[in-house]
Amino acid sequence: MNETNASRAALEVIDLHKRFGNLEVLKGISLTAHTGDVISIIGSSGSGKSTFLRCVNLLESPNGGRIRLDGEELALKDTAQGLVTADSKQLQRLRAGIGFVFQSFNLWPHMTILENIIEAPVHVKGIAKQDAVAAAEALLEKVGLADRRDFYPNHLSGGQQQRAAIARCLAMEPKVLLFDEPTSALDPELVNEVLQVMRGLAEEGRTMLIVTHEMRFAREVSSHIMFLHQGQVEEFGPPSQVFSAPKSERCRQFLENHLN
Amino acid sequence: MDDIIERLPEMLIGAVTTVELTLLALVFGIVLAVPTALARTSRHLAVRAVPYAYIFVFRGSPLLVQMFLLYYGLSQFAWIRESALWPILRQPYWCAVIAFALNTGAYTAEILRGGIQSIPKGEIEAAKACGMSPFLMTRRIVLPRAFRIAWPAYGNEVIFMLKGSALASTITLLDITGMARSIIAENYLALEFFGIAGVLYLLISWAFMRVLRAVEGRLNGHLRPPPEPVKT
Repeated sequence: MNETNASRAALEVIDLHKRFGNLEVLKGISLTAHTGDVISIIGSSGSGKSTFLRCVNLLESPNGGRIRLDGEELALKDTAQGLVTADSKQLQRLRAGIGFVFQSFNLWPHMTILENIIEAPVHVKGIAKQDAVAAAEALLEKVGLADRRDFYPNHLSGGQQQRAAIARCLAMEPKVLLFDEPTSALDPELVNEVLQVMRGLAEEGRTMLIVTHEMRFAREVSSHIMFLHQGQVEEFGPPSQVFSAPKSERCRQFLENHLN
Repeated sequence: MDDIIERLPEMLIGAVTTVELTLLALVFGIVLAVPTALARTSRHLAVRAVPYAYIFVFRGSPLLVQMFLLYYGLSQFAWIRESALWPILRQPYWCAVIAFALNTGAYTAEILRGGIQSIPKGEIEAAKACGMSPFLMTRRIVLPRAFRIAWPAYGNEVIFMLKGSALASTITLLDITGMARSIIAENYLALEFFGIAGVLYLLISWAFMRVLRAVEGRLNGHLRPPPEPVKT
C-alpha cells in the first residue's frame, strides 16, 4: 500500500483473519506501517478495528495471518484457540517493543504512577531502578504529570490516567505504539489533553497505529487512514484522499455521519 | 480468688500455645495456599483437578475429624511408624499444626482464588502487553493484586483459625482451652476458667485484628485519599 516509501517497515501485518465462533470479524487484513507512519484505523463499531489492533500483539489470537515487527516474524502455531505463539520468549521480547494504550487505561491500581511507569523497564528490560526513575520523571514531565508521580491511578482523572498509561508505554522505548480508542472512555472535556500528547508523539516521528473515533484528530495527525468495514479494508490512503475524495461509498457515508 | 490467681500463669502459658499453633498453621497455610490457588485458576483442567480435590476434601469435612485421622489414624500404618517423619507425626502438637495448616490452606486458597479471579482483565492484559512473562506477571501483578483484594476475607479466616485451634485440646494439647479444662478438672471452677479462656481468646483476636487492619492499611495506599501534588 505504501511501497514507494523508502523507509523500512516497522510493522507488517499480512492477511490477518479472526473468527469469534462462526462470526468472521477480520477477513484478511494487511497493513504495513513504515517507521514514522501514523495510521488511523476508523470504521463503525463491529467493523473489527479493535480486534485487529489486539491481534497485532496477540492479546487476541488470530485464526490466520502473519505479523512482522521490524522485520522479525512472530512465530505462530495453530491450536484450537487459533494462532498462538510458538515461542513465548520471542513474544515477550516483541511485545516489549510494542506499546499498547488501552481504552480503559489499565494502570495497575496498587502502584503509584511512577511505579507503574518503571515497572516494565525495571522488571522486563532489567534497567537499573534509578535510571528507570530518571527516565520516568522525564516522561511524566512530557505528559504533564510531573506533580502526580506519587499518586495512585484512582486519584487521577481519566485524562490524567490515560496520559500516565501513555508514559508507561513510552518508558519501554517501543518501536510501534498501538492506541485502542484511547479517548473513548473519557469525558469530553478530557479528550483534548490526551490528543495533545498523542499529537506530540506523532510530530516526533513515532510509528503509531490509532483506532479512534476522533475524525478531526485522525485527519490532522495521520499519514494514512484505514477504513474498515465488516472485517475488510474498504478504503486506505492519505487523509486528504480518504476524507475529501473517498473511493468507497460506505466510507463516504461513514465520514458524513462522523464529521458532524 | 487465690485459686484463680495462682493458676493464671498456666492460662497464659496456654495462651502462648494457642498463638503458636495459630501462627504456625497460618504460615504453613499461606505457603500451601498460594500454589494451590494459582493451580486452581489454571487454564488446564489437569492442573486444576489436584487443588480442586484437596480443597474439596479439606473444606468439606470437619477439622476435628481431619485432626483425629492424623493423630490416631497415621499410627496404624507400620511404614509411617518406621518412617523418618514419625518423630514429628507422633507428637500431638505437630499433628494439630499439620491438620490446621491443611485446613486453613484449603480455605485460604479459595479466598485467594476469588482474589485472583476478580482482578480486572485489563490489568492482566497491560502486563502481557508490556512483555511480562507469566511468572513475572504472577509475582508482580497477579499475587499482589489478589492479596489486596482478598485481605478482608482472609482476616476472617485468621480469626476462624484462632478459634478452631481450640480443637487441639482434644488431642491432649494444653492450649487455652486444654489448660482451662485441665484446671477445671481439679478445682471445678468451670465458670471462672472458661470465662478467663473466653477473655484470652477475645484479647488475642483483638490483637490479630489490629495487625490485620494495619497490614490492610499498608497494602491499600491506593484507597486512601490522594496526597498533595509534589511541588515542582
